[in-house]
Amino acid sequence: MSEHILSAFDRDLEAVQALVVKMGGLVEEQILESARALEERDPDLAQQVRDQDKTVDALEERINDEAARLIALRAPAARDLRMTLSVIKISASLERVGDYAKNIAKRSQVLSDGPQINGTAAAIRRMASAVESMLKDALDAYIQRDADLAHDVRGRDIEVDQMYNALFREFLTYMMEDPRNITPCMHLHFIAKNIERMGDHATSIAEQVIYLVTGEMPEESRPKSSSVVKTEA
Amino acid sequence: MNDMSFTERAVANTETKITARGVQVYYGENHAIKDVDVDILDKTVTAFIGPSGCGKSTFLRCLNRMNDTIDIARIEGEILLDGEDIYDKRVDPVQLRAKVGMVFQKPNPFPKSIYDNVAYGPKIHGLTRSRAELEEVVESALRKAALWNEVKDRLHAPGTGLSGGQQQRLCIARAIATSPEVLLMDEPCSALDPIATAQVEELIDELRANFSVVIVTHSMQQAARVSQKTAFFHLGHLVEYDDTDKIFTNPSDPRTESYITGRIG
Repeated sequence: MSEHILSAFDRDLEAVQALVVKMGGLVEEQILESARALEERDPDLAQQVRDQDKTVDALEERINDEAARLIALRAPAARDLRMTLSVIKISASLERVGDYAKNIAKRSQVLSDGPQINGTAAAIRRMASAVESMLKDALDAYIQRDADLAHDVRGRDIEVDQMYNALFREFLTYMMEDPRNITPCMHLHFIAKNIERMGDHATSIAEQVIYLVTGEMPEESRPKSSSVVKTEA
Repeated sequence: MNDMSFTERAVANTETKITARGVQVYYGENHAIKDVDVDILDKTVTAFIGPSGCGKSTFLRCLNRMNDTIDIARIEGEILLDGEDIYDKRVDPVQLRAKVGMVFQKPNPFPKSIYDNVAYGPKIHGLTRSRAELEEVVESALRKAALWNEVKDRLHAPGTGLSGGQQQRLCIARAIATSPEVLLMDEPCSALDPIATAQVEELIDELRANFSVVIVTHSMQQAARVSQKTAFFHLGHLVEYDDTDKIFTNPSDPRTESYITGRIG
């Protein structure tokens, strides 16, 4: 799409998108580092992740202010309007993902004193890196206005859900084996659930990209994995 | 979603008031309107938008045969008002313009009193039988134009002594005094300040209950605010015609998108 006649409008739109990209970069880092802090039992690294969340929150606020200013001063229409709406929603999703990473870091600090539960930390790290790659692709799709890549991201959420369900069953087994495992397994379960929620947010960012590019939200037909409740029965 | 404030924006009426088919307009050699087909709905505000020289005003002027007054203008195709061809030889353009009223860019009251400005149309068309009836028509038109309270004590003062916004509302009152069915407005707010613009826009929204309103505007925000249907003209073509919210959130044609987002003018 060509440039606006009023070039300051383009500069404003680009500036606010640059903030989203910056925020996305920080959040991706938070995901990977929180999972690494867990696996490597590194409370200092976990603390860094927790501290970084303030920067992410501040960026979200800044993006909302800039978007409000765009709406008030530039009266964006059509694609520009969708872009403005999408930065608000995408930054809200990124902020939530950042919060989940912060929570993982906090729990990893608690877990760093206790015994390891088999290979679950490594499995969680794999799950986190799958989600990070979804988020990265969703943001790439955003920058490149690539609806196909966004559709691809949307389809990948089921893999994360399956990883979560598998971990859920594993934790149940460990807790039944030895009640002393209950506390660490509960923490680990919340961590896995947090990552699963991150995947949902990455999916919702991908859906925003589809809306931005096509003007329509995708149909609610994405593949869903069977719920955890069923595996319990 | 049955929220009141949202549903009122939707097009309530689907009855066609004006049908245009294959309309071509030439000004001498210049082909100003190229094969325009459009259905304008009754009791709906339709906005025509597009860059200068795109033909939107020309097309508007076809709808009440104002182009007849331009010698070099030539019109082809068909324009039907309630199914009847307005370019038929038997149609009297003066009668047509009583049914299809028009308000112009600059307020142009006659150099007469406020009362006479509004009474002029009903008088020449012989729409009233008595003085009392004429007074009623004048009052009702001024009320509909949201001007009555401001001028009721000085009806015999000259219309030209009113403020710009009041003059424009006076012209609207004059246009609706003949009980038209369609009201054409050619940039009615371009000479008005924001307050007067808001008053005229409020008025347009109220007029929608009784008339089919067609407004040409350079302000896209105005089109977005007052209309339910929007037509985008570019280089004499009708590029896109759709619900206003569709045009402003997700237009189908890239030219429409470029124009409303400020990329071409």
